[in-house]
Amino acid sequence: MGNNSPTLEIQNISKRFGDFTAVKDLSLTVRAGRIFGLIGPNGAGKTTTIRMIVNITMPDTGTIKLFGQTIDPALQDRIGYLPEERGLYKKMKIGEQLKFFAALKNVSTADADKLVDRWLARVELSAWKNKRAKELSKGMQQKIQFIAAVMHDPDLLILDEPFSGLDPVNVELLRDVVLELKGQGKTIIFSTHQMELAEKLCDDICMINRSEKVLDGSLREVKRSFGRNAVALRMEGGDNVLRDRTLIAKVDRDSDELEALLAPGATAQQLLERLITEGAQITRFELVEPSLNDIFIEKVRGAA
Amino acid sequence: MKKFLAVIKREYVQRVRSRMFIVVTVLGPLMLALFTVLPALIAGIEAGGPTRVAVIDESGQMFDRFQQALNQKEEISDESVAKNSAAETVNANQRDRVTSTGKILKGNFKVERASLEGRSLDDAKRELSDRIRKGQLDIYIVLPRDILERGTAEFYGRNTGDVFTKGRLTDRLTTAVRDQRLAQKNIAPELVREINRPVTLTARNSDSGDEKDSGAGFYFVLGMGFVIYLTILLYGQVILGAVIEEKETRIAEILFSSIRSFPLMMGKLLGVSMVALTQLTIWGLSFIALASFGPQVLSAKAVSLPDMPPVFGLYFALFFLLGYFIYSTIYALVGSMVTTSQEGGQMAMPVVLLLVVGFYLAFPVIRSPNSSFAFWVSMVPFFSPITMLVRIVTEPPPVWQIILSLGIGFATVTLLIWLASRIYRVGMLMYGKRATIPEVIRWLRQS
Repeated sequence: MGNNSPTLEIQNISKRFGDFTAVKDLSLTVRAGRIFGLIGPNGAGKTTTIRMIVNITMPDTGTIKLFGQTIDPALQDRIGYLPEERGLYKKMKIGEQLKFFAALKNVSTADADKLVDRWLARVELSAWKNKRAKELSKGMQQKIQFIAAVMHDPDLLILDEPFSGLDPVNVELLRDVVLELKGQGKTIIFSTHQMELAEKLCDDICMINRSEKVLDGSLREVKRSFGRNAVALRMEGGDNVLRDRTLIAKVDRDSDELEALLAPGATAQQLLERLITEGAQITRFELVEPSLNDIFIEKVRGAA
Repeated sequence: MKKFLAVIKREYVQRVRSRMFIVVTVLGPLMLALFTVLPALIAGIEAGGPTRVAVIDESGQMFDRFQQALNQKEEISDESVAKNSAAETVNANQRDRVTSTGKILKGNFKVERASLEGRSLDDAKRELSDRIRKGQLDIYIVLPRDILERGTAEFYGRNTGDVFTKGRLTDRLTTAVRDQRLAQKNIAPELVREINRPVTLTARNSDSGDEKDSGAGFYFVLGMGFVIYLTILLYGQVILGAVIEEKETRIAEILFSSIRSFPLMMGKLLGVSMVALTQLTIWGLSFIALASFGPQVLSAKAVSLPDMPPVFGLYFALFFLLGYFIYSTIYALVGSMVTTSQEGGQMAMPVVLLLVVGFYLAFPVIRSPNSSFAFWVSMVPFFSPITMLVRIVTEPPPVWQIILSLGIGFATVTLLIWLASRIYRVGMLMYGKRATIPEVIRWLRQS
């Protein structure tokens, strides 16, 4: 598979449940070997879209092509899926459980044995192989579920809120694994409503709101197209300037820094001049890219 | 196929290895043995020696006969030997248990004659009561002068609540009195027994002239229906739990991204069924073992099968499986609609009552096994496991009818599983809510 051929091509899919439209006329392309962020608030239609990709439900209209083929059950073996709604068989031993999931992906028994040991070691849970799932903490269970999604070496890995509820150490651990898989040329779809996470991890993004695509493209392009209209500031005084709505649209305060979003038509140059005139003590003044969160809010507001 | 087998294997291995399964499997035969052997053993405990009986014979002619009757070995009367009807065969186990209990219960009597020796009856009674009080005697019986005419006598003792002893005394006294009456009329008791011997009616097939005991076969079919019913009662809930498990643990979505819902549902049903079959086999084998090597109480004729052609064995196996699968699939179907096993159990029960209807249909069917009524009810999948078998053991229908009935049955099972898997897949997308029937119909059209 060439690196430039798309892993997944979705064209104009829609899905309705009764009167409710879950996904409306959605098209997107996921390129091979990249991390693709499917982002949007809860209930936007992310999970429904993913279920259609993994062939759990069928779109009412539109087509989905995976690895250049129309999806069918046989292709499911090349997908690894960690759903947001996930669990384990409570009374089953971890090792057996993982082997069962491997068998469901057509992995041979001999291979499954080796894979289970290797992956348990990778997420530092080897000692728990013969424990029952109910004896594990929630975070541990989540790592086991993660193994179930990746152990059969899928070409496309779909992770729906994979880090929710994990402590920072384990987030780091799983993130390393994800990046490692990307390095092996795997394609990864990462669905989340946490924009900051997506921003750190994704190469490409697609934003969905209320069943519809709001914007998509590579993260860099998306950010560039929104221009550098935010300023990171560290200073004393100058509070009057910040309240000027002709100059500044919005202010986000951190502990000792703040980020000011410029009002339409205002420039960073004007802001700097005003601050100096007002006698503010500036220790940092830097043009920054808007966060995905800012972009999203602006996009959604613009559409409304 | 590999995935399908993986599902079966998981369902089977996880259950068979569970502590619950092992405990129930071992405990089953143990309980059976306990319940059959223990009552007989306890009831048979001889507290104290033989019952000491004193007899005051006012009539002066009854004592010898009565003593003889009391010391006689328990004799199985002619009537009970001949009563070998079909119903008796089915109840053989029960009856044998009772008679063997009786055998153990047969206490010995130590009989002595209390003569009046010129004393008044009251004096003699007072003396005997005194001896009972001192513990030298257990009971005494007064046979009045007119016992042959009026047929009444009195029995005194401290423990008049001992119904067994009283029953046996009544029995023996009756025999003695009857024989005495016959003797007075110069009739030999043997002659009366000869006259009273009942008739044995042997049923023969009008074509082949073979002796044929389809009555026993009929009860055998009902017995099998009962085993289906028990199995469903025991395992319906397990199937329900197995279907709901992935919903409760939220694994369903992971599974559906790997396997279609039909092989998943089918695999679950087969896996659990093999567990049931394993358990039944273990129980069956241990029952046979108990019956052939165990204590005498159990080794009744309970396991003697009615004489039938070997092909019937195949039919029994097939229709047993059909009956089991028809009803367990209903549990799977219910499981696909509900979210917790508690609410599922109540929903399935009314349908399982259809099995009881099948029992009742067996009666009109046995009266006219080749009527069109019998034909139609033996084609309805929910009734055929019983009604078709009744026809087979009474007046075997053409083979094509048997095959058709099996075909319809197993097609229904497949259809129900397909339906269940479909509802299951759509219902999985809506956690935490029980589906209403209109919703289910909408889902079916949707997916």
